[in-house]
Amino acid sequence: MSASGTRPSAAVQFVTRLFHQPYVWAIVALLLLLVVNLTKNPAYLGVSVNAATGNLSGNVIDILRASAPIMMIAVGMTLVIATRGIDLSVGSVMAVAGAVSMEFMNTTGTGSFGTAAVAVLLALGISALLGTLNGILVSIVGLQPFITTLVMMLAGRGLAKVITSGQNTSATNEPFRWIANGTVLGFPVVFVIAVLIVAILAVLVRRTALGLMIESIGINPKAARMAGIRPVGILISVYIVSAVLAGVAGIFSTASVMTVEVSKTGMTAEMDAILAVVIGGTSLAGGKFSLTGSVIGALLIATLDKTIVYMSIPSSATPAFKAVVIVIICLLQSPRVRSMFNRRKTRVTSTRKEAVSA
Amino acid sequence: MAPTQRFRAFTGLALAGALALSLAACSSGSDEPAASGDDGGEVTTVGFVAVGPEGGWRTANEQNIQDAFSAENGFDLKYAPSSNGDQNSQITAFTSFIDEGVDAILLSATEATGWEDVLARAQEAEIPVVLLDRGIEPDDESLYTSRIAPDNVGISASAAEWANEQFPDGANYVVLEGPPGLSVVNDRNKGWDEAVADNLTKLESQSANWSTEEAKSVFETMLKANGNDIQLVFAQNDEMGLGAALAVEEAGLTPGTDVKIITIDGTQAALEALAAGRLSFVAEYNPLFGEDAIEVVNAALEGEDVESSIVVPSTTFDSPEAATAALPERQY
Repeated sequence: MSASGTRPSAAVQFVTRLFHQPYVWAIVALLLLLVVNLTKNPAYLGVSVNAATGNLSGNVIDILRASAPIMMIAVGMTLVIATRGIDLSVGSVMAVAGAVSMEFMNTTGTGSFGTAAVAVLLALGISALLGTLNGILVSIVGLQPFITTLVMMLAGRGLAKVITSGQNTSATNEPFRWIANGTVLGFPVVFVIAVLIVAILAVLVRRTALGLMIESIGINPKAARMAGIRPVGILISVYIVSAVLAGVAGIFSTASVMTVEVSKTGMTAEMDAILAVVIGGTSLAGGKFSLTGSVIGALLIATLDKTIVYMSIPSSATPAFKAVVIVIICLLQSPRVRSMFNRRKTRVTSTRKEAVSA
Repeated sequence: MAPTQRFRAFTGLALAGALALSLAACSSGSDEPAASGDDGGEVTTVGFVAVGPEGGWRTANEQNIQDAFSAENGFDLKYAPSSNGDQNSQITAFTSFIDEGVDAILLSATEATGWEDVLARAQEAEIPVVLLDRGIEPDDESLYTSRIAPDNVGISASAAEWANEQFPDGANYVVLEGPPGLSVVNDRNKGWDEAVADNLTKLESQSANWSTEEAKSVFETMLKANGNDIQLVFAQNDEMGLGAALAVEEAGLTPGTDVKIITIDGTQAALEALAAGRLSFVAEYNPLFGEDAIEVVNAALEGEDVESSIVVPSTTFDSPEAATAALPERQY
C-alpha cells in the first residue's frame, strides 16, 4: 500500500525535475523532428560508410556538420547575453573572417598547410580585433551593447566587401578545405573542433569563478562591482570570445565551399545564434546561462533546417514553418505557460489525493 | 544621469552614421565622375537604384552600367546600391532621386512587388524610369519607360530543351531556385516548366537563396532524401550550381556523369567549372547592356517612343570545349 503510494510520486518528482530543466522542450522538439523525418524514411538515422569516399555518411552526420558554425556563434552569444548584453555583429564577423582568409589564400595562391594556418590566424586575429572594439565600446565607453554591435554588424559587412572589393572570392587550399569537409575517425572535423572548443570553454567558465562573475554582472552589475568584480575586463573578454568564435564559424562556413559570399556568408546568423540561446533556456535579460542548452539549441536549428529540405517543404513556406516550431518551443519554455502547466498538474494531484482519502 | 545617457546614445548614432558614410565613400569612391570633366553640352544626371554586391553576374552588370554612363559620355551617374538587398533602402534611394530632380532613373529592383507608388511619383515628376534586368509585378507598362533585360523565360526554356535532348528516356531532377517572389525566379521557373519534357520528373524545388553554401547544404540533403536517385539539377544561378557540384562530389558521385548540373548566368567561375566538366550546361544571362541603356535613356529624354521591353541577346554553352573557347575573353 505504502510502496504503491510512493512510487508514482517519485516518478512525478522525476518528471517535474526534468521539466524544470530549461532546455527539455528543445530536446523534445529535436526528437520530434527526427521522428517526423523517420516517418518519411525509416532509414533516416542510418549512418553508413560511403564506398567512394570512405567517410561516414548519413543525415545525422550532415546535421552535426551543419550545426558546428551555429554552435560556435551560439556559445559565444550565450556568454554575451549572460552579461546582459547582445552581440548582433556575429554574422558580419563571420563574413569578415571568411573574406580575410579567402582573400589571403587567393592572393598567395599556394595550397600549402602554412598558407592555411596563416589564413586561419589572420581570420581569428581580425575577429578578435573587432571583438575588442565591441568590448571597449560597451565596457569603457559605456555604449549600449545593442547599438554598439549593430554598428559593428553594418561596418563588418562593409569591411568584408572592402576586403574582397565586393566580389565573391574563392580559393583553393586543401588543408583549409579539410577543416569543413574532412573527417576524423569518420566524424566531421568541424563538429569535432566545435565540441572541443565548447568543452574547453565550459571547463574555463564552470570550473573557475569566471562563470559566476559573468552571471553576477548580468544579474546586478552594481552589486557585482561592489563585491569586487571588475566588469571591464570580463565584458571585453566575453565580446572577444564571441567574436573569435564567430571567426571560427566564418572559417567553417567558407571552408565548406571555399568561397566567401560577401553579402550572404553569415547573413542572419545572429538570429540563429540568439534563437539557439533562447531555445537553450538562457534568459535574454542576462544572468544565469546554460552552455549545454545553447549547444542543444544549435543542434535543433540545424536539424530544423535539414528537416525542411528533407520533407520537401516548399521554399515559400519554410520561414513560416521555422517560425511556428520556434514559437511553440519558446511558448513551452515561458515561465507563465510553465506555471499554468504546473498549476494544472497540482490540481490533478490534489484531486487524486482527495479521492484516495475519501 | 539622463543627459549623459542621451549623449551616449547620440554619440553612438553619430558614430554609426560616420562609419556608414566612410564605408560608402570607400566603396564608391572610384565611381564619382569628375564634375569638371564636361566640355560642351549639358550633363545628364542619372540615378541608378542598384542591387549592390550579390554575385559575379551582378558585379559585372553594375560595373558595365557605371562604365557606360561615364562623364565622357556626358552623364553624371549617381550609384545607389541597396543595403544587402533590402527593398526599403531602394525605395528610399528612389524617392531621394525624385526629390533631387535627376533627369532619369535606372532601377534594378530587389523585389518585384510594391513599386507602384514611387513609380507613379516619378511619372508625376516626368522622370523617365528604365528597369534594368529585374521587372516589376504587376507588370504595368504605363508606369515605366522601358525594361532592358535578357529573356529569362527564353533562357531557361533553352536549358530545358537541352535537358530534353540529354535525357530522351526521362530522368529525375530537382530545381534550386532563388528567393521566392523574385520576378527572375518566377520567369526562370516558367520558362523551364513550359519547355521541359513530361518524362523528366521534378522531385522537388527548394530555394538556396542564390548562395553556394546553402545550395551545397540543400542539395546534400536532397541526395539523401532521394537515395542519390537524381540525374539532373536545374540551378537558377551559377553560384548555386557550383554548390550543388560540391555536394555531388562530397557524396562520392561524379558531376557530369552521375548528376548533370545546369546553371544560368555564365560567370567566369561557372565557365571554368564547365570546362573542367563539373557543370554540364551553362546558359548565359548577358549582363552587358550599358550601351542599350544609354540609347533608351537618350531617346526617352528627347521624347521619342521607346520599346517597352528590350531583350538582350544571350548564348548558351553546352560543352567543355565551348567554355574553354569563351573563357579568355570573358569579362565577368
